[in-house]
Amino acid sequence: MARLRDTTPLATRRLPNAVCTAGIAVLLTVLTVAVFEAAAPAADWPEFRGGLGLGVAPDETIRQQWTATEGIAWRADLPGKSASSPIVVGDLVVVTASSGAKQDLLHILALEKATGRMRWHRTFWATGRTLCHPTSAVAAGTPASDGRRIVAMFSSCDLLAVDLDGRLLWQRNLAVEHPRSGNDVGMGSSPRIIDDTVIVQIDCQGDAFALGVDVATGADRWSEPREKVASWSSPLAIRLPDRGACVLFQNPNGLELRQVADGKLVWSWRGECAGIPMATALAATLYVPADGIAALAAAGVPISPAWRSAKLSCGIASPIAWDDSIACINRAGVLVVGSIADGAIRGQVRLAGSFWASPILVGKTIVACNKEGKTFLVAVDGEPKIVAENELPGTFTATPAVADGSVYLRSDTALWKVAAP
Amino acid sequence: MIMCTKMPVVVWLAAVTACVAQAVGPNGAAETPPQSVAQAMAIATELAGATGLTGQAELSAQADCVAAMQAAWIVPSLAAFGNATPAGANWLRSGLERAADRLGDALPAAELTAFVADVAQPPRARSLAFAWLKARAPLQADALLAAMLDDPSLDLRREAVEKLLESAAGDGAGAQAGTAAEKEIYRRGLAAARDVDQLEQIAGWLTDHGEPTDIAVVLGFVRNWRVSAAFDNAKGVGFARAYPAEIEHAATPVPEGWKAVASTDKHGTIDLNAAIATEKGVLAYAVAAVEMPRGGLAEVRVGSPCAVAVWVNGKRVMTHEIYHASEAIDQYVATADFRAGNNVVLVKCCQNEQTEAWASDWKFQLRICDPLGKPLATQMPATQK
Repeated sequence: MARLRDTTPLATRRLPNAVCTAGIAVLLTVLTVAVFEAAAPAADWPEFRGGLGLGVAPDETIRQQWTATEGIAWRADLPGKSASSPIVVGDLVVVTASSGAKQDLLHILALEKATGRMRWHRTFWATGRTLCHPTSAVAAGTPASDGRRIVAMFSSCDLLAVDLDGRLLWQRNLAVEHPRSGNDVGMGSSPRIIDDTVIVQIDCQGDAFALGVDVATGADRWSEPREKVASWSSPLAIRLPDRGACVLFQNPNGLELRQVADGKLVWSWRGECAGIPMATALAATLYVPADGIAALAAAGVPISPAWRSAKLSCGIASPIAWDDSIACINRAGVLVVGSIADGAIRGQVRLAGSFWASPILVGKTIVACNKEGKTFLVAVDGEPKIVAENELPGTFTATPAVADGSVYLRSDTALWKVAAP
Repeated sequence: MIMCTKMPVVVWLAAVTACVAQAVGPNGAAETPPQSVAQAMAIATELAGATGLTGQAELSAQADCVAAMQAAWIVPSLAAFGNATPAGANWLRSGLERAADRLGDALPAAELTAFVADVAQPPRARSLAFAWLKARAPLQADALLAAMLDDPSLDLRREAVEKLLESAAGDGAGAQAGTAAEKEIYRRGLAAARDVDQLEQIAGWLTDHGEPTDIAVVLGFVRNWRVSAAFDNAKGVGFARAYPAEIEHAATPVPEGWKAVASTDKHGTIDLNAAIATEKGVLAYAVAAVEMPRGGLAEVRVGSPCAVAVWVNGKRVMTHEIYHASEAIDQYVATADFRAGNNVVLVKCCQNEQTEAWASDWKFQLRICDPLGKPLATQMPATQK
């Protein structure tokens, strides 16, 4: 996957409404550079929303049609509940789950990518709280891999690292270390691995913090307290040339950008943001789910707001950006595509059902899977247009993964591999 | 380090040292499995006692040693779960699980059966052994369940209750549904079950078949309370503020002027919006007198979408300053020391100023149980002096 490079001077227009006047106006510090680069991916689809966490696979081509009996390479039953996405690492597909009357048995499973056969299956006892809302799950955060290790985070605040053979390498029982961490809606943030550091975002009303952990040993590299407010957003990796790797944290009250190496605060923004969907980045601009999308661009010093569009509204699902476009699925199930230059709407198409899974871009097609199991393929090389609707049985809240031309869809009971074309 | 109490110090020290020395190769991978049952048990005990954040590479290597154990040493090593820390339990589980996977049907079913049947062994270890047995010898595992209705392992008890109810379904399907024999099975299930979902299922069945069963009574909710007027909690200031009522009535069962409120809710909920008024940014106290059959430790189990604090006989036992982040039966659990006979429980329930419709609830529920969830408290209604 190509690295994202800054090629365009960032816009300096002021945001047109309250978000810019109230939110952007209270930027606490500024970015010192104008160039964003995303970290290089370490595996095929190694974390939530794939390599770089951006939800885009521009070089992939996938099958257009499938059903439960046609176009499926394999289907594997799963041992428990989950809202986490599958990840693809080498010849493995890795998923997490929880089971038991109290959902306190945590599962990490590795299936052979080619056959769906179980390679290994590890279980652990949760050491923190396991209550959660019925629509979520204890295994809501998607695991992450650096190609050698798999790091899984559960709502119980258990952070577990295993190697590709399923050996437990280290564990962090963060609710034991921070007894007031977690929340009973269920924690949903996915970990990131950036430059050998595992980044974890624990946003809750109790002990809220961000953590950078050595991926090899599990030891703290840094820990920083965060505002005591719940969020389910995942960290976003951003690389700045003179700061190195940075990570963006989002909660309903704003953003923080920290250096991966030491956790040092680089920049922060106080303003309304969404609590569930995460931001995305493209060409030196951050696209933040707020009341709509707020585009934050850095043209060196000072940072300048670019634009805001209330029409680009995200529900639960995170936005995706590619080429010159950005897309969101709103709470009404409408996929809206806009211009990354100014947020102007280019088109929209009404899907159906509710969307907990985030859409991904494959080639020039958006893949959007609703909770009811229908996956829409929407061509976006022109006016957005539904080109296929493919239905599978079950409840789907996990964001799809794609690798080697195959789509991986995870329901409440099974993992489906859609065969490559 | 935790040492196996039945093992000579020298054996234990030598075993652990040998394992770590042998196990950590250039890649941190296991190289040599334990050479005796004593070594195996020593390593298991060491792993189970793991604490702290350092030395994880060594622990991972020790888990490799466990994973390489001979089949005959697996079951004895399960006893190490008895002194396990939260982290240690997972380290040991990870090694034993890999060993069980490797051994497959070579894992001795007879020893597993005996271990599962021994209620003196650690509940979690028995539950893990049962899962292995069920995968290898399902009929043998199934045969154990009939004696597990009163099991100290909640997992095994749940399986036993499930099995019992299946037998009722088999006997009483169709025209036979609701027979005396079937009802008796459900009554036994009601007495044995501890998980709320199972209890609700059983109570619902009995009610539907002519035996009204009040789930609030089954779960043992404290339902009779005296409730104070509202106090200020604007911007959450009241949670940490000790109002005079909190100081004066933490151990007083019937404060003058407090309103008697009896829950009729199936989950014992005390709705403060109904009892006082629908307000935001306020808090209220509720006090109840409860009767305990014996003195000693018991669990106070609370559910509330609001910030709550609880006192037992004047001693604060629980604080959770969390607003509108879900609610559930037994959401918060704390251990408290009770007297035999009369006790006083005081709840402080705080509402914040969120304006969303889903943030309007101002309520709590409370029950007092043994560690397995059996209700212990009975109540003289707080409306009576």
